[in-house]
Parts: sequence; C-alpha cells; structure tokens
Amino acid sequence: MIPVLAQSAQPFFRWSYLIDEWDQIQAALLQHLQLTVLSVAAGLVLSAMLAATALRYRWTTTPITSFTGILYTLPSVALFALLAPVFGTQAVATAVIPLTMFTLLILVTNIIAGFQSVPGPVKDAANGMGLTPTARVLTVELPLASPLILAGIRIATVSTIGLVTVAGIIGQGGLGRLIFDGLNRRFDTPTIIGAVFSILLALLMDALLLAASRAATPWTRRARA
Amino acid sequence: MDVTLAQAALPREISLSEFLFSAELWTRDDGILDTLVDTAVLCGAVVLAATLVAVPLAAYLAHHGRGEIAVTWMVTLSRAVPTLAVAALLVPVSLRIGLGFEPWPIFIALLLLALPQIYINTYAAIRGADRGVVGAARGMGLTESAVLWRVEAALAGAVIMTSIRVAAVQVIATEPLRAFLGGDGLGRYVRDGLGQNSPSQIVGGTILIGLFAASTALAFRGAERLALPRGVTRLSSNAT
Amino acid sequence: MEESYTTAIRLHGVTKQFDGASAPAVDALDLEVPAGSIVALIGPSGCGKTTTLRMINRLIEPTSGRIEINGVDALEQPAVELRRDIGYVIQQVGLFPHRTIAQNIATVPRTLGWDNDRIRERTAGLVELVGLDHAMLDRYPDELSGGQQQRVGVARALAADPPVLLMDEPFGAVDPIVRGSLQNELMDLQQQVHKTIVLVTHDIDEALKLADRIALMNVGGVLEQFASPDELLRDPANEFVERFVGEDRVMKRLQLATVADLPFHQGPVVAASATPVEAREVMRASGSAWVGLTDRGAFLGWVHGPDVHDDGPLTDAPRSLPAAQVGRDSTLRRAMEIIMTSRTSVAVVDDGGRFGGVITLEQIRAGLDQGPEVIAA
Repeated sequence: MIPVLAQSAQPFFRWSYLIDEWDQIQAALLQHLQLTVLSVAAGLVLSAMLAATALRYRWTTTPITSFTGILYTLPSVALFALLAPVFGTQAVATAVIPLTMFTLLILVTNIIAGFQSVPGPVKDAANGMGLTPTARVLTVELPLASPLILAGIRIATVSTIGLVTVAGIIGQGGLGRLIFDGLNRRFDTPTIIGAVFSILLALLMDALLLAASRAATPWTRRARA
Repeated sequence: MDVTLAQAALPREISLSEFLFSAELWTRDDGILDTLVDTAVLCGAVVLAATLVAVPLAAYLAHHGRGEIAVTWMVTLSRAVPTLAVAALLVPVSLRIGLGFEPWPIFIALLLLALPQIYINTYAAIRGADRGVVGAARGMGLTESAVLWRVEAALAGAVIMTSIRVAAVQVIATEPLRAFLGGDGLGRYVRDGLGQNSPSQIVGGTILIGLFAASTALAFRGAERLALPRGVTRLSSNAT
Repeated sequence: MEESYTTAIRLHGVTKQFDGASAPAVDALDLEVPAGSIVALIGPSGCGKTTTLRMINRLIEPTSGRIEINGVDALEQPAVELRRDIGYVIQQVGLFPHRTIAQNIATVPRTLGWDNDRIRERTAGLVELVGLDHAMLDRYPDELSGGQQQRVGVARALAADPPVLLMDEPFGAVDPIVRGSLQNELMDLQQQVHKTIVLVTHDIDEALKLADRIALMNVGGVLEQFASPDELLRDPANEFVERFVGEDRVMKRLQLATVADLPFHQGPVVAASATPVEAREVMRASGSAWVGLTDRGAFLGWVHGPDVHDDGPLTDAPRSLPAAQVGRDSTLRRAMEIIMTSRTSVAVVDDGGRFGGVITLEQIRAGLDQGPEVIAA
C-alpha cells in the first residue's frame, strides 16, 4: 500500500509545531467555533419554527420529527461533497447547511419535549390569573421548557463540534482541516493537534453550557427536603 | 485528496445513469459490487463486535445495578469524541506499528461510535424493565440468570434491537470517512467525485450509501418483527 | 324563607355545548351567588360543575346565556382583564416552579403594575394570612409540602384582593388530615376577607362543612337543588338529592348545627343557697331525678333527688362532677354524645365559663324537626 518507511524518522508529535504554527492553529480553532456557532444558531431558528408548527398543529409532529430524523442519518461526508459543486468548496454555506441539518433532530425534539413538559395545571393557573397568551408563553412556558431546550443546545453544539471536523474533506472544517492536512502530508503533528483540540473543545463547551444552563435554571436544583 | 492511490478511478465525465446502471462497473474487479461487499463486511463486523461486547456487559451490570456513573460518562464522551478525531489519531499509530491505513483505525473509530449507543440503550432498557414483572419472576422462583435472560432481556429486547439498528445506520452513514483516511468503501466515489469535480460520482456514491443504509434499516425492522414476541413489539413503539 | 343579600355572581340560562358532544355539558343553568358567601358546586362526574366554574372566569366560553359579576356582564369585557379580578385556585395548585413563593404570589399585582413596595407589603401580609412562615418567601414551590403549596395557591389567588374567588377542588390532592386543617383555615380566612367564593368539590362533607349554599348538579349540567346545607339535608328536593347526600342525613345535620342554634333553657337547676324544699319543687316541676347547683353563675354539679336532705344546705349532698359540659359552638352531634354518656341525660352548656342552661335529647329532636336557622332566627 502506502510507503511507511519514509516517515519513520519523524517524531510522533513535534512540540515546536504548537509554537511555530500557533497562528494557523488559532485560525483553525476560530473557524471551528464560527462554523459551530453559525450552524447551531441557524439550527435553533429553524427548529424553533418547526417545533412551533408541531406544537400548534398536532398532526405535523410526526412528519416533522420523522423528517429531522432522516436528515440526521444522512452521511455527513456525502452532504459536504454534494454541496461543494453547488456553492463551491470554500463557501460557508457548503459547511453550514449540512451541519445545520444535523442539529435539527435534537433541537426540534427537545424544544417540543420542553414545551410539552410544562404541566397542564401551571398553564391553567397562568390563564386563570389573566396572563395574556404571549405573556404566558414567554414568562411561564419558555422558562419551564428551558432546561430541555438548553440540554438540546448543549448536545447539538457538542455534536456539531465533532462534525465540523468532517468538513475538512472540502478544505474547511477548522481543526478538521489540520487533521486532513496532516494526513495528506503524512505529517502526524497537525493531525493529532486537530483531533485532540476538537475533542478538548467539545468537552470544554459541554462543561461551559452545562454550567450556564444550571445557572439559568436555579429552580431545577432545589427540591423538597 | 491524494491520501490513497486512486485505484480504478472512474472517468470524470461519467453520467449518473452510466454510473448506477452499467453492469460492467458493478461486476468488474474492484467494482461497485466488490466495494459494497467490502463496506458491508466492515460495517457488519463493527456492529457485530459492538453488540457482542455491549449487550452482555450492559445487561449484566444493569441487572446488578452497577456502573451507573459509567453510563453517564459514556453519554458525554460518545458525543464529545468525534469518530473522525478518533480515526485520525489512530492512523499515525497504526502506520507506526505497521498495520497500515486500514482497516484498524476506522474499525475502532466506528466501534466507538456504535458501542456506547447500544450499551447505553441496553443498560437503560434492562434497568427500566418493569420492576413488578421482575419481582413476580423472582417470586415464582426463577434463578437470577433466568430473571435476567428470560424476563428482563425479553422485555428489553425491543429497545435493544432498535438501538442496534440505529447504530448500524449510523455506522453506515459514517463509514464513508474511511475513503478520506486512506481506505476505500462506498465513500470512494464521493471522494473521487470531489477530487475530479465530478458531481455524478458524488451523487451516485451518495445514492449507494443511502440505499445501503435504508435497506439495512429495513432488514433490521423485518428481523425485529420476526424475532420478538408480539407483546414486546408493541412496547418498541414507545421506545426510541 | 327570603334572605336579603346582594348577588355577586349571576348565571342566567348558561349553556355549554362542547364540539362533538351529543348533549350539553351545562344546560340552561340559572344560579345566583350571594356576595360574601361560599357556594359549593357539587355533583357526580360529568355534571358540569368544573365547566360551570371555568365559564365564570371564561377559561371556557359559554355557548349561550349570560354571566354577571357584580352587576357587570362578564362576557362583554376582555377575558384576561376579567380574570385579574377573579382569584383562581385549582387542585394541582399550578404554582410556577421557576418562580419563588414571593414571585408566585406577586404574579397578578405585577401584571397590574403595582410598585415594588406595595407588592412586598402585600406578599408579606398574605403569607401571614394563610399561615406560612416568611422564610418560605424565597423558596421554590418544589421545596414545599403539598399543604404548604396549596396555602400559597390561595395566597396567590388573593394577591390583588379580588372580590371573587373560584376554587376547583382545592383540597382534593392533599391527605385527609391536611385537608381538614386547610378547610378550617379557609373558614377562618373567610371570616376575615369576606370573599364571594365558588367552590367545586366532589366531597359532600366538604360542601356541607364549608358552603353557605350548595348547588347540587346532575349529569348534563342540570341543577337539582340549590339550598343551604341544612335545607339540603332536611328537605331533599328529590330522590337524586337524597341519594347523593347519603343515608346518614340526620347525623350530618347534627354535625352541622351547633348548640347555639337550640333554644336551651335553665333546666332543673337551683342556686346553691336554695333550700331543699325549693330544690325538690324544681325537680318535681321538671320531672327530673336530679337537680343542678349553681354558684354565682358557675355550675357546681348534679345532686341526686334522694340525696337531698332537709337537715342541711344543698352543698352537703354528694355531687357528680360537672363533666358533662358542651360549649355553645359545639356541634349537636357532640352534645348528643355527651348526653348519651351522662347519668343525668342532659348536657350542661358552658357559656364562656358561666352556666348557660341545659340541653336534652328532646330539644335536639325538636330542633331537627324545625331546622336550626328557623330557631335561630
């Protein structure tokens, strides 16, 4: 297969690369974050609309969740490749559209579940006290749905960080680009940096979002003694 | 992408119908059929290995109510550790110990994708098996292993089979990465199409992957229907 | 019997026909709720009692009919504004889990735009009114027991001091002991706030205990009888009412009426300073084998006739301990229990530490025949 001997002299990890190529690593990290944030934000907007439709018109729930479920099982590699000839390999849309599609399942599911988790009597009491429907949704239902919605955002963000690396096959993908760069050049250091950093970034975001959602929903942590 | 030697590359101008319906392309040596078998073997091996490890281990630990924390960690880690990162980390290792680009790095990466999925669901299903039914089984004097295998596993069977199906589809959808990590498999057409700027190869490759995933899912659903007692299949509609 | 009162809530020909239902849930219902009184809506499931309640604050829109609240057509004003003037308490409480107790109670005042000081003052006052500790104010609902949550629910409903309170099985979800004390607290509370309360319940004993008037409804939203608890028990309008209130109607009436409702009299009682001749005369006149002694308004005890001797003051005779006493606010059932276990077959009324008279079974029976409010009038 591939000649392996040529690189046997190469060290497994070249520490100096971290310093010498820091600008490049930093740029990759930044792009990684940008693609993640863009995709999750777009996914959140779309999911909010889909979930609102599903909650408003009950019969649409199954088609909507099935549809997002099918999107989730599409091969990521193929999606990036399919869009590349359409928008061009370097277009942000080529990376962001598939990534957004993958966030929909978890976000739509959790937004619907969040609003469905609001107890009926709480809504009844809100109506009975003369809250307007808008006030009820914004000040009662949304906060009570937020633990599940925030959990959805957290899972979607962490999964997206992982999937962004795949966009490396079209030359984007932030840290994913470092991974493929290294593989193509038979140079292990950028590959390892890309892989390890993407894992660390995912774990970091998971911890940050978990802490943020706990801070935002203090009532979930106290229960009757 | 020049990671692999582009063996038997298709002509750039090939049309989609030529790609999908040419008998020659399918049957020739290292053609579509061979590639399909190659992919099926890898994916099958991954799912089989994941099932053989995850189901008994999860069932045993869940039955004894142990390892709950491990499940929590597994949920987080399986999300945070992307398949590509795992495979990419393993490629240099594999190369260094002389195992080549393929198939160990992608095999292990896909195994780490499928295994937690099946493990987490099996664990939850066995834990969630109706405590009343299990208590009744103990009360009737069934041995502990009989309780586990004949009662809990039967009740959890639907959920476990669903999780194996979902894992299999995910493995098939992720396996095309292999073509970008120095291997082949169905992803090779996507890779070559991308490299040669040939949309019909990308589309054709995607269709092949999609059909393979869909028919696998269908086959699993059929097997579920055959294998599970009717009282239990009704339960699976409540499971995810 | 005509009472003079102002009507706080008036339902006139109110009908609710749900889409797809073959029969109306509530059918041409007329009901008048006197201001400051508690009216209980009760009946078997499917009688439309909750539907009726929820039409008053328009959580359910009536199909036809007219609802007036304090003289204003409820169907004319915007539903959300109407509801801010009506307290609403439900069985599952429905506290907002994400808001502290203080924030929950402040919901309507905040909607009405009260300033913070006024809200804080009101919240503190309400917490006291419903018997909760101030330390609860900063807790979340899930940190409270069921009974405490229901108290907060009542406080929240009273927050903006609405004249009308709607309660849908408010004590249905708490255990019987807590339920009993919450019912008592509600009655005490009503003494202070004088709200017009409409209460839905499926528990006839709760209705008898709390309500001034009971609307007994039948399946399909038909009003079978609208009467005071005693009237309902004494004079059921039909067989349905009779069956619904149960077989032990007499015992329930005894539970409802108090000693104060009866025209109890002095009984065979003389002052301790009276002569034996006077004592025998009193016993003979009342046909009693016992005579009671009082000293400056205090009851000393009963003396058996044969123990009354001419050669000494009455106080020398052996006396029973004055144990068989009831208060004026004791139920007739309690009085009857005392009478049954007393050797003298009478209960002595303790009127705030002073002798108030005696009660006999005959008097209780006569009272039941007439109905206490007739006697009391």
